[in-house]
Amino acid sequence: MSLGDRAEDVGRLRRAVAAIEGRREAALPHAAVRLPLTRALDRALGGGLAADGLHEIAPASPADGSAAMGFALALAARFMAVRGRAAIVMAEDFALAEMGALYGPGLAAFGLDLSRLVFVRAPDAPALFQAMEDALKSGAPAAVIGEAWRLKSYDLAASRRLLLAARAGGAPALLTAASAYGAADGFSSAAETRFEIAAAPSAHLPSAGGGRGLPGAPAFAVRLVKARIGAGGAGQGADPTRTFRLTWRAEELSFDEPTLSLPVAAAADDRPRATRA
Amino acid sequence: MTDRARRAHEVDPRAPLAVVATVKAARRLVGVDAQAARLGLGVGLTLADAQARQPSLIVCDAEPEAEARLLERIADACARFTPLTALDGRDGLMLDVSGVAHLFGGEDGLVAEVEARFARQGLTVALGLADSPRAAWAVARFSHRRIAPAGLAGKDFARLYHDMPAAALGLDAETCADMARAGLRRIGDLALRPRAPIAARFGADVIARLDALVGDERGAISPRFAAPELSVERRFASPIATSEAAFAALAKLADDLAALLEQQGKGARRLELMLFRVDGGARRVAVGAGRPLAEAKAMARLFAERLAGGAEEEIDTGFGIDLMRLSCLAAERIAPAQGEWQRLEESAGARALADLVDRLSARLGTRRVTRLELVAAHLPEQAFAAAPAALGEARLAGQGEPAAPSDAPTRPLRLFERPELIEAVAEVPDGPPLRFRWRRVLHEVAAIEGPERIAAPWWRRANAPTRDYFRAEDALGRRFWLYREGLYGRETTQAKWFVHGVFG
Repeated sequence: MSLGDRAEDVGRLRRAVAAIEGRREAALPHAAVRLPLTRALDRALGGGLAADGLHEIAPASPADGSAAMGFALALAARFMAVRGRAAIVMAEDFALAEMGALYGPGLAAFGLDLSRLVFVRAPDAPALFQAMEDALKSGAPAAVIGEAWRLKSYDLAASRRLLLAARAGGAPALLTAASAYGAADGFSSAAETRFEIAAAPSAHLPSAGGGRGLPGAPAFAVRLVKARIGAGGAGQGADPTRTFRLTWRAEELSFDEPTLSLPVAAAADDRPRATRA
Repeated sequence: MTDRARRAHEVDPRAPLAVVATVKAARRLVGVDAQAARLGLGVGLTLADAQARQPSLIVCDAEPEAEARLLERIADACARFTPLTALDGRDGLMLDVSGVAHLFGGEDGLVAEVEARFARQGLTVALGLADSPRAAWAVARFSHRRIAPAGLAGKDFARLYHDMPAAALGLDAETCADMARAGLRRIGDLALRPRAPIAARFGADVIARLDALVGDERGAISPRFAAPELSVERRFASPIATSEAAFAALAKLADDLAALLEQQGKGARRLELMLFRVDGGARRVAVGAGRPLAEAKAMARLFAERLAGGAEEEIDTGFGIDLMRLSCLAAERIAPAQGEWQRLEESAGARALADLVDRLSARLGTRRVTRLELVAAHLPEQAFAAAPAALGEARLAGQGEPAAPSDAPTRPLRLFERPELIEAVAEVPDGPPLRFRWRRVLHEVAAIEGPERIAAPWWRRANAPTRDYFRAEDALGRRFWLYREGLYGRETTQAKWFVHGVFG
């Protein structure tokens, strides 16, 4: 039983007790269950990614669209593993036509359990948001990914609806917007968290022939543009100037912070200790 | 035919009307109404003759497609009498009313009801009701009586059928003409003669059809839709005109059906709702469920999802709905729930998911809500298949093994339906690329793995080019799945490069 799992059980028990005692939901401070990602990112997020919130994921440039989707799928894989439930991946038709259809063997290799994934194609953005809302409210999935293309109908009201649906069902909504590349900073919505994702060079594996290396595990450069951690939150909040580097380990279904092996000056042991001024 | 033309062209109801079409290079009447028939005009007459005889005759062109559509609509509307309706040629309908007549007060009542309903819509119908489809056909088209009583024999049979023309047997025109030449014009002529010579001269078919009239042979019709396993219906004394009222009635129907299903210990997998309007319109709405449904609320919700789909999907009450029928087309036995608490909890989650899938499938269509399954195939684009999630856990044949999750996945997250052509530069013609241009952006390859050689299935299509797949990462970390089509030197000298997919 992982940490996220236990925290989730406690949260559920609290809610059950509140319901038995007849207290209104509002009386209880909303305490989100959080899914840990990596140490540095968790500190900024206040303990992890809220399991019942709306999280937006935008690519940094047009060519980073698949990295953004990869990040969303990795998050979904983590939620699925922790909760042991299915995830629902929804996409607008146009997004699939533009970005390519999700590929079964690739998803399996990425760490997703195909037998617990349901795919939904929506004809347009309003239908997508409606379907996401229904899926979230049903409380059945561990996570709902929505890939939107035309964001005209995505405003404060639409995002607020998604957020409330996520709260009601206790499942995270992961909204990726491939067309909103580079626009993550100038966007306003009710989302709790907004990430801007760019692909990052992976740790290349040495090639036998000694030439160019082989691509390694998928790596992401994550910029946390927005993080609402609520009153009394322990997190640092968003720092848009900071970039986190994450590597996805599909075998363990977890993110890694790569240990950068930078050349540093050799420690000299014959030098006097620096004196404080 | 003439009724439709009269309505479409707004012809004065008292004027004689005929419908013409070109038959064997001549304009001939193919349909006449009652007035025209009274004036001595008949089907088959040339237009010139008919107009010479009756200058006041109004003539319309036949429109076979529109007529076929009307016939289908009538067939739908006839489903209110019996679930088993079939099209009979281009101008008839066959209804199997076994065990139905008592609902309308006997056979007389049924015939009167059918006639009255169509008369109200301005359609004249020729009706016949008999023991076998063939007898009913003959009675409808060639007799003034409407109902052939069961078990006719001897004199009664003779009185009804013997004066009918031989064409009432439904034989082709050539055989009829042959028999007419031999002086056999009426059914009586055939029935009273020894059977063997007739069979020898005109074929055994003639005798078989004669027997069918007597009712010795019980023909079956091939209905347009199969009869449902269970169905419940509600008739409204005063038609309902609002969709709210229709939904309320639907909830009650669902209650009734759920009670029936519960008695059998079954759940519905496919449901159909039929709405019959006062003006003769009928509408079928079908929904499917991923698991056997036994709860009335869940059934009603599926239809609500489906009918809320879009403007054209909404309930069109028109002048009012006077009959609603909810049928269960396919039922399945429900596995009794296991008592164990854990299991209950688990199945509650699975049920919530199945309900969600059903609702989304009902709203968006089953093709839009899918599960991906792996197929054992070498060509990447054939290695997976999407199956409607509403089918439940049904597995495809020839299922492939999912690749184990790997830190460096060898298959991309997204695959383009059509591989996109790129300009690539390689050191050597059969080597890995150095840089390539995709969607107008130049990518420098920083890390590469390959080739993974995938040959086309030669047993299906000879000479299809082999593909060499490469996993390439550019300087910024974006990963692509590229391939070169054709083996350099052996299959081609001008290798083409494609991007087939992108990694996450």
